[in-house]
Amino acid sequence: MTSHECTPPRLEGHGLVRRFRGGAGLRGVDLTVSAGEIHAIVGLNGAGKTTLMRVLLGMLRADEGEGRVNGVGLRDADAATWARVGQVVEQPLAYAELTARGNLEIAARLHGIEPGRVAGIVDHAIEEFDLGRYAPVRTSRLSLGNRQRVGLAAALQHGPSVIVLDEPTNALDPAGVILLRESLLRRAAAGAGILVSSHHLDEVARVADRITVINDGRAIGSLDPGGLDLERAFFDLVLTDDEARRSA
Amino acid sequence: MTAATPTSSAAAPHGLLRAAIAVEARKAWSSHVMLWTTVLLVVGVGALALGILAAVASGEAQVIAKLGPLAGVGGWAGLVGIVVQVTAAGGLGAFGIALSWMFGREFADGTVAALFALPVPRAAIALGKLIVYVIWAIAVAALLTVVVGGVGLVLGYGATDAAGLRELARLPVLVVLTALIAVPAAWAATLGRGLLPGVATTIGIIVVAQVLAIADVGAWVPIVAPALWAIAPDSVPAAALLTVPSVPLVFGALCGVAWARLQLDR
Repeated sequence: MTSHECTPPRLEGHGLVRRFRGGAGLRGVDLTVSAGEIHAIVGLNGAGKTTLMRVLLGMLRADEGEGRVNGVGLRDADAATWARVGQVVEQPLAYAELTARGNLEIAARLHGIEPGRVAGIVDHAIEEFDLGRYAPVRTSRLSLGNRQRVGLAAALQHGPSVIVLDEPTNALDPAGVILLRESLLRRAAAGAGILVSSHHLDEVARVADRITVINDGRAIGSLDPGGLDLERAFFDLVLTDDEARRSA
Repeated sequence: MTAATPTSSAAAPHGLLRAAIAVEARKAWSSHVMLWTTVLLVVGVGALALGILAAVASGEAQVIAKLGPLAGVGGWAGLVGIVVQVTAAGGLGAFGIALSWMFGREFADGTVAALFALPVPRAAIALGKLIVYVIWAIAVAALLTVVVGGVGLVLGYGATDAAGLRELARLPVLVVLTALIAVPAAWAATLGRGLLPGVATTIGIIVVAQVLAIADVGAWVPIVAPALWAIAPDSVPAAALLTVPSVPLVFGALCGVAWARLQLDR
C-alpha cells in the first residue's frame, strides 16, 4: 500500500447539482480525484465541465450535493485548505500591468507563501516553465500562449496537492504543451490529485489515468486512456446518451 | 518540487490581510490608471483654480457671478476656496473612477476567477483594495496641498499668514473626505460586475452632493457635508463632518460581504 492510498481523495463531488435558467447546469455529478491521479473530464462545449470545476472550487454554490477538498467540505474549507489548491479556470492570474515575474510574485503571496520564500519559489517557476525571457516583460505585451504559461506557473508554483485546470493547453505552443504535461506528471507522481478538462483527446490520453465523459450536466461514462480510437468511443457515448434522453 | 507544501502563514489572518494589501498596492502602483488619475486630478484642479483666479482678476463677470461671495475674497482664503470647490466635484469624480477601476477591472479583465480558491479570503482582498485606496487618497491630498501651497507662494501670498495656513489645511481634509464618500462606487462596481456601474454611482453621488450643497441643505447628510463645507464652511458643524466616515464603513462592509459571497454565475 502506498502513502497515497492512506489519504482521502484530493477532490470529491457527490451528487452535485447546479441549475441555471434555460436548463443548463449540473444534474447530479459524482466525481473523485485521488492522490497521485490525473483525472480528465471531456465533453462538448456547454456540457458542464467548467461548471463542475467552478462548483468544486467554490466559484459557484451547488444547489444540491457536496464537494470536498482534501477531505474538507467546501463550506468548512479554510485558509489552510485553499493553500494546497492551484487552479486555472477560464482566465489565468495574469494582470496586464505587471511583469511576468510580478504576477508570479503576487500569486505566491495570494497562495499564502511568506514574503521571504517568494523569490525562491518564483525563480523555480520561471525555470520550470521556461519564462526567463519574459520575466521582466509586462504581461500586456506577452502573447496569449505566454500569458497562459504565466497563469499556469502562478497556479502551480506553490506546490499544490489539488490542481484544477480548465482547458490548460489552450493557446499553448507545442513546447508549452510538453512543459505542462511533464509538470503535471511530476506533480501527480509526488502525490497531487489533478482534475483537467480538455477538448484534445490525444493530449488527454497521454497524461490521464482516468477519463470521464460529461454530457448535459452528467457524468455519462468513462474512456480508456489506452484505448485505440478515443474519438470514436467518445462520440459513441455522447450520441447514445443524447438518443436516450430524446427518447425518454 | 513536492506536491503539497501548506504554509504556516496560511493560518494567520493578519498575514493574509497583509498579503492582500501588498498585492493590491503592487497592482495600483504598476497601473497607469492610478498614476494618470493622480496627475489629472492635481494638474486639472491646479489649472482650473489658476484659470478662475485669472478670470476674476481680469473682471470676467460670469465667473465672478458663479463664485458669489468667494469672488471678493483674496489671498489664501480665495485660492483655497476655489480649489476646494473644484475638488469637491472633480475630485469625487476622479476618486469614484479609480475605485470603479480597482473593483470593476477584476470582472472586466476576467481576473476575478483567479481570486477564488485562495487562502487569502476575497473579503480580505476587497478590504486590501479599500486600504490601498485610502492610502492613495491621502497621498493625493498631500500632493495637491503641496502644489496649491506652491501656487499660493508663487502668487505672493505670505508664508507667515496664520489664517492662510488654516485655510490651506482645509484642503487635505476636504480631499480625504471626498475620497471617503466615493466608496459606494466600489460596491456598485462589485454588484454590477464592471466599471460602468461604479462610474454611474459616482456621477449620482456628485449630482446629489452638488445640488444639495448649492441649495445649502444636507449638512448632516454624509455624502453632502464635504461639498457643503467646501462652499460654505460655516454652515457645516465639525460634528457633521465626523459623520462622513459612516459612508466608507457601511459601504466598505457591504463590499466585504459582496466579495465573500461572490459567485461566478453571470
